[in-house]
Amino acid sequence: MANLIRLNAQKLWARLGRYLLSLALVVAATLLGVSVRAFISPTNLHMIYLVAVVIAAVYLGRGPSIATAVLGVLIMDFFFVPPFLTFAVAKAEDIVTLAGLLIVGIVISTLTTRVREEADAAQRRETQAIELYQFSRDLASAIGLEDILRVVVRHVSQSFGREITILLPEGSTLQPQASSPGMTLGENETALAISVYEHSQAADQAMATYPTRTLLYLPLRTGHGVVGILGVRPSDPGVPPASEQQRLLESFATQAALAIERAKLAEQARRAQMLEATEKLQAALLNSISHDLRTPLASITGSLSSLQEEAVQLDEATRRSLLENASAEAERLNHLVGNLLDMTRIEAGALKVTEELCEVQDVVGSALQQMGDRLEGRLVQADVPANLPLVPMDFVLIVHVLSNLLDNALKYSPADQPIEVCAGVTDGRLELQVADRGIGIPPEDLTRVFDKFYRVQRPNGVSGTGLGLAICKGIIEAHRGEIYAANRDGGGTVITVTLPLVQEQAA
Amino acid sequence: MSNVSTRVLVVDDEAPIRKFLRAALTAHGYEVLEARNGQEALSAVTAQRPDLLILDLGLPDMEGLEVTRRLREWSNIPIIILSVREGEADKVATLDAGADDYVTKPFGVGELLARMRVAMRRTVPADEPAFTTGELQVDLASRIVTVAGQEVQLTPTEYDLLRALVMHAGKVMTHRQLLRQVWGVAYEQETHILRVNISNLRRKIEADPTRPRYIRTEPGVGYRLRTDL
Repeated sequence: MANLIRLNAQKLWARLGRYLLSLALVVAATLLGVSVRAFISPTNLHMIYLVAVVIAAVYLGRGPSIATAVLGVLIMDFFFVPPFLTFAVAKAEDIVTLAGLLIVGIVISTLTTRVREEADAAQRRETQAIELYQFSRDLASAIGLEDILRVVVRHVSQSFGREITILLPEGSTLQPQASSPGMTLGENETALAISVYEHSQAADQAMATYPTRTLLYLPLRTGHGVVGILGVRPSDPGVPPASEQQRLLESFATQAALAIERAKLAEQARRAQMLEATEKLQAALLNSISHDLRTPLASITGSLSSLQEEAVQLDEATRRSLLENASAEAERLNHLVGNLLDMTRIEAGALKVTEELCEVQDVVGSALQQMGDRLEGRLVQADVPANLPLVPMDFVLIVHVLSNLLDNALKYSPADQPIEVCAGVTDGRLELQVADRGIGIPPEDLTRVFDKFYRVQRPNGVSGTGLGLAICKGIIEAHRGEIYAANRDGGGTVITVTLPLVQEQAA
Repeated sequence: MSNVSTRVLVVDDEAPIRKFLRAALTAHGYEVLEARNGQEALSAVTAQRPDLLILDLGLPDMEGLEVTRRLREWSNIPIIILSVREGEADKVATLDAGADDYVTKPFGVGELLARMRVAMRRTVPADEPAFTTGELQVDLASRIVTVAGQEVQLTPTEYDLLRALVMHAGKVMTHRQLLRQVWGVAYEQETHILRVNISNLRRKIEADPTRPRYIRTEPGVGYRLRTDL
């Protein structure tokens, strides 16, 4: 409030100053008149006063220039029109002269002031045009909603010297998304913004601005509706901005609205694209799973139905081979279903990790044992030092991880090549490695092999679901561990698992 | 197989499982009785006095655990449970409640028959003082353990552990059962003590501790001393 009083006082002084200057002009004209009255005829002295009026009109504005004209006429009458040093006029023609001087003075001051105002307006329009241009240029180069909002706040508050805030719809309510530094909205102001938003959305011919005592609300309107509200804190509370300023504010608002809408549409398009990609992926996965599930089922059904056929006499060897086939395929199906259940459990966050201090040799041994007959005839070198500490882990799950890794090593390396399993402590963590001498993994796939359903494209069709490593990753991460793949010198793959040696303190 | 046919009660709510077990067990000389739920099982055990129970853990009316508990109040009948891979906790609880052994679905008939044989043998008093499996020999009378004729020095705890396994050779022993027998009830939860001692024991009797021959780990459940060598 004190600020405002000071501001008004300043204005008053500035205005008073201009009138004093006009008085000074009259005094100067009079002094000049006194000094030259000996050389020129009294009638021509008018010219001096007219010059003073023109000067006042150009530099001091309308009021002071009219004051100059009136004062000039009075002073001239006083000093230069007989009888001297009185306001009385002796000759009738002098009255005409003085009246003429007054009229000409007023006309000149009016015309000159108008020209000046027009020039000023043109100048202002140019400035505004430049500001708008810069605004739209910055908006165009802004990327994303956040950037756009920042540009709007900076430009509007600079151009108008006001505090502003932008409110955007969020769910069923309106939230301030960006504001000038230090600007906050009261509860009432936010509520008012919401009602303005609702009203301007509902009404076809809604107002362009909604001025209130403390805040001016501008609906950010585009062809498709209202995207938000721009709140401007007026410099004079209670005084609506001049119509010209308001129009400019509206053009800023329109620009801002378009930019915000553009950003939102872009965001929507991006989301739609992502959704489409996800759907495509899911369809592909479903295809792949249903293929993986149906293939073993088909072989089992086929084998069993062949055995069932009474008309055909199968020899013992054929019967046995059909049975073995059905049995192996059933095992494969079991493995697949197990994997799918594991993956579902991991993704649903339902994986229960019961960490207990475990003996690493026992873990590795159990994994090897779980592989059972499948390791038959295969050289497996297990290097697990006897002096390793007990490590906290879920025994069953880590055995599961190791047997998955062994299974991969078995599948993706030639039968005459050894598989190595080793364990050790590195950098305060347990390190478990399963290494083979297979064909390795293309470098660009080293991290992607841990993605769900990701399979390295192989020419020779090794069956697999693309779930094994994803499950391993899920289990290891639930242990706060790491798992990564690398290619070995001399060919082959090595998968490394690291686990913390210390159990996490219960939170 | 055995001359006197053994009567097996199969308790499962799934008809295909009962059907397949009936066919397979009958073929191996067993007499098969069936029950579809816990109640039927309990009354069948009372009325028909089977020699062995094959019990599915997921029954519609009551948990296999509950059936086991109720039976163990008055009966010593060998119980083999059928479980799924993910059901470690239920499996262990039922074993601790007195079930003899388990097989995990899907299972082969060979595996089930082996478990049944071991479970049946439990009821036969073992009066032989010396136990032999593969090259491992344990003389319970003189407390001498040899592997391939070489005597192995065990600590008293390791010996007690091996003895507990020998007493239930071929049958799974849960962590809790072993801890209770060797260390006492107060140590029931101290699984890591068991793990360390098993590891030490293996180093003394196994040729390759990472590929143990005699003491088999049953992940999440316990240990089993193999007799099928």
